[in-house]
Amino acid sequence: MNPLKVESIVKHYGDYTAVNRLSFEVAEGEIYGLLGANGAGKTTTMRMVLGLIMPDEGNIRYYGKPYSREQLSMLGYLPEERGMYPKVKVSDQILYLAELRGMPRKRAEANLRNWLDKFGVPEYYDKKMEELSKGNQQKIQFIAAIIHEPKIVIMDEAFSGLDPVNVELLKKTVKELRDNGTSIVFSTHRMEHVEELCRQITIMHRSNPVLQGSIREIKKKFPQERVLLSADQPIRGLESVPGVLSAVEHEHGWELKVREPEAAQAVLRHALAQGPVRRFELMEPTLNEIFIKTVGERHE
Amino acid sequence: MNKLGTVISFTMRNKMRSKAFLITTVILVLLVVIAGNLPYLINKLGGGDSASDVGYVSGSYPEIVQQLQALYAQQEKQQGHPDVNLQSSADEGQLRQMVADKTLDGYITFTENEAAGFPNVIYHSRNALGSSTSSSIQTMLQQVKTNLLVKDAGLSEQQIRSLMTPVEVSTEQVSLGEGSGKTAAEQGTAIGLTYVIVILLFMSVMISGQLIATEITAEKSSRVMEIIVTSVSPLAQMFGKVIGTFIVAILQIAVIVGALAANLSLPHNADALQSFGVRLDSIDPSLIVIAVVFFLAGFFLYAMLFAAVGSIVSRTEDLGQAVMPITMLTLIGFYIAMFGLTHPESALIVVCSYIPFFSPFLMVLRAGLSEPAWWEIVLSFGILLASTLLLGWLSAKIYRTGVLMYGKRPSVNELIKAMKAYKV
Repeated sequence: MNPLKVESIVKHYGDYTAVNRLSFEVAEGEIYGLLGANGAGKTTTMRMVLGLIMPDEGNIRYYGKPYSREQLSMLGYLPEERGMYPKVKVSDQILYLAELRGMPRKRAEANLRNWLDKFGVPEYYDKKMEELSKGNQQKIQFIAAIIHEPKIVIMDEAFSGLDPVNVELLKKTVKELRDNGTSIVFSTHRMEHVEELCRQITIMHRSNPVLQGSIREIKKKFPQERVLLSADQPIRGLESVPGVLSAVEHEHGWELKVREPEAAQAVLRHALAQGPVRRFELMEPTLNEIFIKTVGERHE
Repeated sequence: MNKLGTVISFTMRNKMRSKAFLITTVILVLLVVIAGNLPYLINKLGGGDSASDVGYVSGSYPEIVQQLQALYAQQEKQQGHPDVNLQSSADEGQLRQMVADKTLDGYITFTENEAAGFPNVIYHSRNALGSSTSSSIQTMLQQVKTNLLVKDAGLSEQQIRSLMTPVEVSTEQVSLGEGSGKTAAEQGTAIGLTYVIVILLFMSVMISGQLIATEITAEKSSRVMEIIVTSVSPLAQMFGKVIGTFIVAILQIAVIVGALAANLSLPHNADALQSFGVRLDSIDPSLIVIAVVFFLAGFFLYAMLFAAVGSIVSRTEDLGQAVMPITMLTLIGFYIAMFGLTHPESALIVVCSYIPFFSPFLMVLRAGLSEPAWWEIVLSFGILLASTLLLGWLSAKIYRTGVLMYGKRPSVNELIKAMKAYKV
């Protein structure tokens, strides 16, 4: 039984349809990517999963059961727009939030100390939120989302506004959560994070799910059409190889676009005929390219 | 339900710890201590321990001056000190000089007035306004004049004394029920008490209401709201906030009322109050019950309105404008009540004492100052309670919707549309 199952949910705001027939499932210990341009319906979807608003059609099941207030305690939420009580001590507000989600105070206290130690900031326990730097406030915010040991965590733009060191730190933490069996719904604009963390994704565009499945499957559907090539000696006549759409010479080699993967082999043979090849790579499309292609194509 | 408790205790803890709250409480207590001692201070300052020094030109109207001195001497025997010390001087120029040197507070001169049979008197002093000295002199001179005229008429001592005794008129309110009505003293106490209750309600509604609205908007604008609403039902959150703030407000009021009561019960103040005709032991306990019940319902009525408004505003900057209508309502209720202190039976007051937003002020006022029938009180409270519940329900709905809406303040139509969309 999967922790989270979304079955063909629909949400209308008046005449406007914010989410149209979206389905997905998140397994235990899986990070699920929810991608989409701004206004694609991600936040509405997350709000429905969190039970803030009810879908007009369709169902959301938590371990097979429909939504009820009791399930709030197993949900964690890291909202896109960050914010805590600026004038309240870190420990006070984190423990308050933990208690609201039904965690005994003692246990929440121990958890909080653990997390602060883990992030290397145990001295923040008694600090007021407004005294912390923005990056550190983000850490506290992150702790607030998971302090009550939720089974399902919704993360909206989890790493926005963090420096690379802290991104790595939080990424590591997210992976640990996943390995401990937490199901995570993850939304971001940063495709490299998705590629690194998520097994399956849904790309939404204008309220509709337009691309869905495991990242590997999705990538297979998109043709490998980019070739990187470099050799010690200059290579001539690459443009004239059949199937090559364009060839651009960079500082350290060539970047070619080919019509189909077979054309790449012709390119390699052509280059080898002129001398040894130092590097040849048939690139699979990046998620970034897939995203832009999927969302961009439908813009017209 | 224990989540409600968590919200209440968090709200209270934060409020009681905030510097603003502590400072306000201390300032209010100080004000109350000053106000509580005001009757005593007025008595003290108004009575004046020291006598004013008033000069006169020696030799003019010796008979009048002599009698005047006799009367002030008599006054000195009665109250320990005279209002005025009379001092003679050679001429007016010298008197004027002495006033300028501040050795005299003022001086009197006489001019002949044949028609009145008594000279006109002018009291010269540095400031012409608000002089208790001149009124004291006038009272005494009136007595001197009467004495002089009556002496010629050949009346007996006895007759003169009874002529001097003023007529006594005391008031007693006609009671519609059994027993005797309120005496003037009780009426005075009731006015004072009603005034205090109305002000307490007004202040606690304004202060707590603003606090509730500000806090909700702050939670929204800092986006902590998004986490809160995913942790606890908006209803529990809203009522937790309202109840928490209410308890804090009650504690604050208790401290203030306690300070006031402690000060008023000090011996010197008790005497002063008595001399003003206020007697604390004449307070009717049923009035207190009515006041408490209406206070509770009124407080929650307004608090929930403030909470609902706070929930639809996204930025604290916009809040002032948004709560304006509610502030106006409390102000109107307050000012009608102030008017009603002197006209408790006017049609305006009677009608408004059934309108839920005003009845917390006005029914208490009527119960304190006139005698509304019990069914009037019950009816008014019923209306108030029903509208409090209705508004509580509506506010909860608005709150549930409002906390999720960001951007510009939604119009009523947008709000209704959103309510339908969110299925609250």
